[in-house]
Amino acid sequence: MFKELDPLLHSQLRLAVMSILLSVEEAEFVYIKEKTNATAGNLSVQLDKLSEAGYIEIEKGFVGKKPRTVCRITDKGCLAMEEYVNTLRQYIHI
Amino acid sequence: MEDKNLTEKESLELIARMIKETQNNVARYAAYPLLIWGYLTTFIAVVVWFAIFKYEFYQIQYLWWSLPVIAFPLTIYFSRKSGKRGAQTYMDRITNRVWGIFGCVGFLLSFFAFFQAVDIYFLIPLLMGMGVAISGCVTKYNPMIVLGIVGIALSFSLLFIHGLDRLLIFAAIFVVMMIIPGHLLNEKMKQECLKS
Repeated sequence: MFKELDPLLHSQLRLAVMSILLSVEEAEFVYIKEKTNATAGNLSVQLDKLSEAGYIEIEKGFVGKKPRTVCRITDKGCLAMEEYVNTLRQYIHI
Repeated sequence: MEDKNLTEKESLELIARMIKETQNNVARYAAYPLLIWGYLTTFIAVVVWFAIFKYEFYQIQYLWWSLPVIAFPLTIYFSRKSGKRGAQTYMDRITNRVWGIFGCVGFLLSFFAFFQAVDIYFLIPLLMGMGVAISGCVTKYNPMIVLGIVGIALSFSLLFIHGLDRLLIFAAIFVVMMIIPGHLLNEKMKQECLKS
């Protein structure tokens, strides 16, 4: 019996965001937007969903007068990604 | 990219692609701090040696203060210009902290050398050699590890060499541990930027 894939991660944009944050310590909103080619509105909604689940932390601040949003993966997010990849492996028999 | 569901295979491919994207985010100007500090230190050391050797102009020692004045703004300028804007890796943070601490200690030693008997020509290359070798270990870049260690070893020779010619050995050590690995790293960054 296969385990069910985490529905929060099993979406293109959210998975891309989590994969980026897994390999860097922190990333700015504009950086994630550039790497994923997502629209600002959609990305913002998906980041909020990940943050509500406790998978990422979002820090909003200013650099001079410019707003700056920084995202970081949490320990819970790392565990969720690990579990997600392990489940995927079961599905495709790696 | 949208909020659509993926097949299992697509998911794994996406994870691999995104991780690779962040790794491709190479800093084109990563070698510039080594080159800026290496060239300036070597240049000032040779000028100071020449002015004292030829004209016995000892006040030229104050020229050392121009090193941070020129090198700091240039280092900050190129780190901002770097392609890595927007994301910070663990490696970036460790390297920045290492150079922050070593730079502060180096600055304090240089400052106190004006009032106390501090063997600055031994301690500074020792400290900078350690910085280069540690940065090389963190970034897994062997030329920096090897040449940093060579710099550390050569700096000990300055404990046995006295007189004005120490300045020339001091300059040579900076060529070995900063300028040479700086150029090697710069070439590597150029190639990686072309690939990505």
